[in-house]
Amino acid sequence: MMPPPVRLPPVGLVGLVAVALGLVSLGALGVPTRAAAPGVPAPATAPTPVEEVPAPGPEAVARAVGPAFDDDAALPAHADDVVDYTLRASLDPVAHTVHGEGTIAWRNTSTQPARELWVHLYLNAFKNQRSAFFRESVGGRGSAAPEDWGWIDVRSMVLRSGDGAPVDVWPSAELHRPGDDDETDARVPLPRAVAPGETVQLDVVFDDKLPIVVERTGYRGRYHMVGQWFPKIARLEPDGTWAHFPFHHLAEFYADYGTYDVTLDVPAAYTIGATGPLVDWRVADGRRVERHRQADVHDFAWTAWDAWQTMRETIDGVDVTLLHPPGFTRLARRELATLRFALPYYSAHYGRYPYAALTVVHPQEDAGESGGMEYPTLITTGGSWMTPPGVLAPEIVTIHEMGHQWFYGLVGTNELAWPFLDEGLNQFAEQDGMAKWRGPGSALELLGLSVGDAALDAVDGNVGVHDEPVAQAASAFTTGANYGRLVYARTASVMETLRRVYGDEPVLRALGRYARRYRFQHPVPEDLLVVFGEVLGPKVEATLRTALFEKGWVDYAVEGAWSRKAPRAAGVFDRKGTRERVEPGTRGEGGWDNSVLVRRRGTLSFPVDVVMTMADGTTRLERWDGDGDAKRFSWHGPTALLACTVDPEDRVIVDGNLENNRATTEGHGGSGSRTLERATYWMQLALQAVSP
Amino acid sequence: MSGAAVDVPLVDDAAESARRQDDLVLLTTPAIRARRHPRAIAGMWAWQTVLALLVGWPAAGLAHAAWSGDAHGDAPLWAPGGHALADWLWRDQHALTELSHGAALVLVVGAVAGLVPVAALLVALAYATRDRLPPGFTRCMAEGFRAFRPMIVLLAMATLLQALTLAAGALVAGGVEHATHGWLGEARAQQLEALVFLVFLAAVSFVGVAHDLGRAAVVRFGVGGIRGFALGARTLRLYPVSTWWSWAWRALASLAPVLAVAAVAGRIGGEGGVALVFLGVMHQAVVGARVALRASWLARALRGVDGTLRRVP
Repeated sequence: MMPPPVRLPPVGLVGLVAVALGLVSLGALGVPTRAAAPGVPAPATAPTPVEEVPAPGPEAVARAVGPAFDDDAALPAHADDVVDYTLRASLDPVAHTVHGEGTIAWRNTSTQPARELWVHLYLNAFKNQRSAFFRESVGGRGSAAPEDWGWIDVRSMVLRSGDGAPVDVWPSAELHRPGDDDETDARVPLPRAVAPGETVQLDVVFDDKLPIVVERTGYRGRYHMVGQWFPKIARLEPDGTWAHFPFHHLAEFYADYGTYDVTLDVPAAYTIGATGPLVDWRVADGRRVERHRQADVHDFAWTAWDAWQTMRETIDGVDVTLLHPPGFTRLARRELATLRFALPYYSAHYGRYPYAALTVVHPQEDAGESGGMEYPTLITTGGSWMTPPGVLAPEIVTIHEMGHQWFYGLVGTNELAWPFLDEGLNQFAEQDGMAKWRGPGSALELLGLSVGDAALDAVDGNVGVHDEPVAQAASAFTTGANYGRLVYARTASVMETLRRVYGDEPVLRALGRYARRYRFQHPVPEDLLVVFGEVLGPKVEATLRTALFEKGWVDYAVEGAWSRKAPRAAGVFDRKGTRERVEPGTRGEGGWDNSVLVRRRGTLSFPVDVVMTMADGTTRLERWDGDGDAKRFSWHGPTALLACTVDPEDRVIVDGNLENNRATTEGHGGSGSRTLERATYWMQLALQAVSP
Repeated sequence: MSGAAVDVPLVDDAAESARRQDDLVLLTTPAIRARRHPRAIAGMWAWQTVLALLVGWPAAGLAHAAWSGDAHGDAPLWAPGGHALADWLWRDQHALTELSHGAALVLVVGAVAGLVPVAALLVALAYATRDRLPPGFTRCMAEGFRAFRPMIVLLAMATLLQALTLAAGALVAGGVEHATHGWLGEARAQQLEALVFLVFLAAVSFVGVAHDLGRAAVVRFGVGGIRGFALGARTLRLYPVSTWWSWAWRALASLAPVLAVAAVAGRIGGEGGVALVFLGVMHQAVVGARVALRASWLARALRGVDGTLRRVP
């Protein structure tokens, strides 16, 4: 998930350029690509044959250590199929309701009998202001109360197992805890225990009332983005404890893998986008009915709107469907271009994308709360149709949400307990991908200014680093701002520092090994740390642990640089056959005594370069392993020292203060001439704009 | 603003001779050409540069204070990727915020005090000395100060009109977007909104053109602000398309060098040495070209109000 997409100011040069670009597209763009009977759009996705493969048991999933997972050979073909949802959902786009019914087949994969089920009813987060979601006033996205509330009413949940008679277990469900109005985490006592390995079926009937778009889900006019819309079984951990939790404001989700077979029923004029490939569709009686089926996933989301326009393209063997509003064609093309780079790049580094389809949904800005979100095989992006080409927000959102297919989707981490494992690692993957694709201006390349995605995160990540640790539950963060700075930016900056310091190949290999090795495995932070220790050594593992768990920070500083003309060494010297006596204090002809003191403050340690610039223009490079609190470099040479810079290549981007990374000997400081030139020019232009 | 003798005809029309001011004489309409006054244009550039340095110099001081430890000074701030720049903007945000407030003040002061050099430029364009020389710097500035009062009346009137037009434009365009959002979709509705707003922007530009014509009338004929605005508006009413286009093509042309230099600035880098000098020269060439285009338009405005006055009974 991402913060809301960048919105451009309505005025100013950037805005005017954007408006001009938009006007160019006014007549030429947005040609509908729907081709079907009038008023009846074809399905958004092309039908794909369903591959029926029996799911392996947990014992069949290899958890080997080492380089076996540096390529795709050892990748598991499928996840352990724990819970299957076979649902049918019917949308009333006027009342904004969804009627759902179907079957949930759930298997107890723990070692303990299950005497209850925990069911997540996350749509109830938007039922009232006493939900956990709205009570947690941490700020950030989704903080405003929706103009129209949403909820889910489960009508029945009939348990069928063994030879016993079907029992509706919902009347005994405990929707909320005493004294707590939150209804997003329901406990359902079972009439009998479900034994380890046993599978039960639950026939469910439910009705959703969608909220106006808020935090990933809802409607806006005829537009509908339907997420967190069905009763979803929480994950039962192997030790028999339920990983259940209410819908926290900053948290996302956690669930078991399974197969989702969902039949969606909407008005015939509507176009559907959904998790999984389309396997069957028909239009009858004014209704469009599509069946989407996807194995090896842990969630299902869908959208329906009668204004969607569709682009399709096969990228790296994946059928990509892009749904966008009219007039967003130019932006949609940019997003497809992003995927053309990103899908093969991520598959190569983090393991092959295993699904046949990927659906990209670009909501309008007025439904922006549903943008910038990830679901298995379906992502939502965002951004204004007038975003100028040099502002790479649409590309960043697209690559970020696509990256979540790996970092949360395919590894299935607990997004509440360890949000950095999905958002943080994914943010790093985004930075890396964008930089490899677009170079130094990977966030902004406009009017001669180039700003990288990583640079912005490095600064942002340093802001909250002393406040609270990165590696903690989403619900433990004190503010939404700190959640964003630490989970997203700080994690990514730490990883980027490792990449710059230790090299591109080993760090991407380590992350790829982690992603492949724990595909479908629900890893925890220790799994990540162990893999990084394997590939990069125990020091890196320790550094990563400190950075993530212990508010680790670092500030390299050049304490001082000194150079003084050395007196000639005193004493008696036999040189070239003659004996020479030099008195103490004799000056001249003795070269220069140069000295530099570099300090490392903080709890993190990285090897750094220290570069000394000499008066004759030459440079002297020293490498400091970063151990210890300080390092002094002293030498005697024929040339005076002018300046010293620690980490001149800007590898340690988590450095807490860049301004003290350099020092000059007295009188050799550089000027501010570049700033003078640019600031004066920009001010001249501003004066011309406002002055008579 | 003094210089060599200009070989231009002076007015000998009795009516206009009556408007001669002291030792200055009005140039004939065809003789009013900006290209004949490079020093006046340079003076205008110098005025803007001095004002800009009031902001640029402290900004450079801040950068120097933060990055003086680097042998290359503030070069890391402008390196591709922007890490040092982003770090600086965050770390020194309080000082930079104060600087931005200072910049806003300079812009306001520049907008008001700038009336004097603009009037001086108009004097240089419209008059000559009796010995056919361009009026000197002191004389132009003195005339500029004399015109300040009517010029500020003009500025107030035009600013008020433009603000009202913009507010109305925002209201109407926003209403159009709101009304059409549902059936046209967001992008189309916003494009329509932009189109509607552009109509109002065009109206704002017409007010701006009338404003400049009024300034020309104030300097050319020594009239007051309200009378000057009326003359400007009359000129625009008589020749709306040609007059507006004379302004518009110059305004559009003045955008071109900005965009062109921005496109190549990233490649030049300007991190120091020759590249920085080259970047600076290019930037100042852009500013100079824009001043010249502005002067060219003001000369056109002077010729325009001349023509109008001849038609006034």
